[in-house]
Amino acid sequence: MLHNIDVTSSNMAAPVNSVGKTSGDRFQVNCTSFQKKTRSKLISIPGTRPSVQNGQLLVSTGVTSLDYLLGGGLAVGTVLLIEEDRFDSYSRMILKYFLAEGVVCRHELFVATAQDNPDEILQELPAPILDDVAVPKPVDQPRPTGEPQDSLDAMTIAWRYQNLPKVQSALASSSRFGHYYDVSKTMEAEIRQAAKCHRFYLPDHITPSSAAHSARVESYSALLKSLQEVIHREGFDLATPMSKSRNILRVGLHSLGSALWGDDMCCHDKPRHGHALTTFLYGLRALLRSSLSVAVVTLPSHLIQDRALMGNITRLCDNAIALESFKGSERETNPLYKDYHGLLFVRQVPHLNCLARQLPDHKDLAFKLKRKQFTIESPGLRSGSTKNKLRQL
Amino acid sequence: MYILALKNSYNLFLNIFSVAREEVVHVLCFDVSEEELKVGLKPSDTQRLHIHNAYSDPLGWTGHPNFTAQQFILEDLANLVKQTSQPKPAVLVIDSLSWILRHKTPPAVCQTLQQLRKGGAVRAVIGLLHTDMHQRGTVGSVCHLATSLISVAPGVRGKEAVARVTKRSKSGKVMQDEEIFCIAEDFTVTILSKASHAEHKTNSTEEEQADPTANLTFNLRLSDSELEAKQKLTLPFVFSKEKKTALLHPGPGSGRILYEPDANDDYDQEDPDDDLDV
Repeated sequence: MLHNIDVTSSNMAAPVNSVGKTSGDRFQVNCTSFQKKTRSKLISIPGTRPSVQNGQLLVSTGVTSLDYLLGGGLAVGTVLLIEEDRFDSYSRMILKYFLAEGVVCRHELFVATAQDNPDEILQELPAPILDDVAVPKPVDQPRPTGEPQDSLDAMTIAWRYQNLPKVQSALASSSRFGHYYDVSKTMEAEIRQAAKCHRFYLPDHITPSSAAHSARVESYSALLKSLQEVIHREGFDLATPMSKSRNILRVGLHSLGSALWGDDMCCHDKPRHGHALTTFLYGLRALLRSSLSVAVVTLPSHLIQDRALMGNITRLCDNAIALESFKGSERETNPLYKDYHGLLFVRQVPHLNCLARQLPDHKDLAFKLKRKQFTIESPGLRSGSTKNKLRQL
Repeated sequence: MYILALKNSYNLFLNIFSVAREEVVHVLCFDVSEEELKVGLKPSDTQRLHIHNAYSDPLGWTGHPNFTAQQFILEDLANLVKQTSQPKPAVLVIDSLSWILRHKTPPAVCQTLQQLRKGGAVRAVIGLLHTDMHQRGTVGSVCHLATSLISVAPGVRGKEAVARVTKRSKSGKVMQDEEIFCIAEDFTVTILSKASHAEHKTNSTEEEQADPTANLTFNLRLSDSELEAKQKLTLPFVFSKEKKTALLHPGPGSGRILYEPDANDDYDQEDPDDDLDV
């Protein structure tokens, strides 16, 4: 893997501080928040940081609680599988968080869909809460002395800071890991267009009439070829020399395995093309391991009847989580769950270049999509007897 | 796109929904014959319906089929709908999707439905699906595409039926409802009552925001006159406007501070001596 640092794993149960802004909900994770000072010859890519446990280069998923669950972030070169909830609302939200984080960190994006046009997903990206995200606008010039009136009325006490630009320099955005987003607003077009985005919309590549007659599923191989071509052309695959600065490619694949990809895995109990998606995931992981990219794949697992196949798919991805929303199910009326929108299950966490995995402490996790945060926490702890509260101290 | 999912092959006439509005409706008949479908409908209604007979020869065994199952692809359907040459896009009613799913693979059917939805040829697609005729995965895949899903099952008492409606909006919000209805002889649908699920939701009362400044022995609020007085207060270091502008826009000759953060600023509070090993 890329960039190994020899670190001794710390077994201290040190208290956890959250990175960036403090949030009310924290996890007890068995690691420190200590950030190793990078004086060595590591390449520094904005929006990434080395992991404390095993030295992998991590990127943020866009959801800080999910970063904690996955051991600090998503390692570059790995795949995160999200098993969709029944109506594909929250899994789509996490995919949008992932892509929005890529825009804010100036990474490149690759979005592949079969159902909606990739542009629709890109237009729905949530707006980042900007204190210190560099916005590519020209710096506000100080107002000419001809019109002092309006600018001075703006601030009465802190008037000396009026003319400073509201945006800090680019240095701040690269040192920050994990941002917060406001779901009620969409990202402004100028921020979004500053990021380079590659699109793959299946109906543009495969005419369905030809697909219906073929014995194999052609869509996945077309997707893999397109992704390989983008990685090679844009220089993510380390084949090009280090002349230009490196960047990360974030790959978002929406609803793989559904019938719209031409795959009958979700339709039949014993699918004929059961190996199409597993072969694709194998090829995808090989492609990602040899390049500076990270992938998030959503899958409508509630339609797959073959549990063995689902197990295969989980094994072939590095990280795997499953979402189950309460909407429409009888759990909606359960008083324990009334504050939450659904349950989250961590199916798999990888161990990359080390022997131990960082599994989350609690198995029962519930999530809630608030306007400014996607929180994941354990409902038992939250409902809080004093006994639990004392233990947290 | 609406999909009616029926359990136990409950017979329901689809035309009731579309005929009520003044729209052009194309009906693809696979399950029942044209005459049987028109039984009981008023002639004024049947004029607006364009029924395409796919019942008599759906697989093209005779030399001249009207519409076959293999023709359930975008081009042929678009041509079919254009035949009436109306300015507004029409509504397409498919009776039934189950029939088509037996002769075409579910992925192909799903892709055609998705293309119909994305293209502008039809405004809405209403499809009938008999859920007990297919595997769960097939039913799930087709229903996953639908923006509205109505599941109909026979009710407790004689002529009643229970309908569960699920609607998905573009923004991702999902609405679910359950209703009991019955159909009269002249095909009017009367909704009898909403099922008991709806009552659960009213139980969740909103908590009132506790106002911390309410029952105190001292007063934390400001009256209007006090607010005015507060705003009129002159603060120290508030200069006149001329002095402010002079300070804000420094003329030539005043220095600027340029600072690049250096190694001494890299101060980690948890590791002040910079000697901890990871």
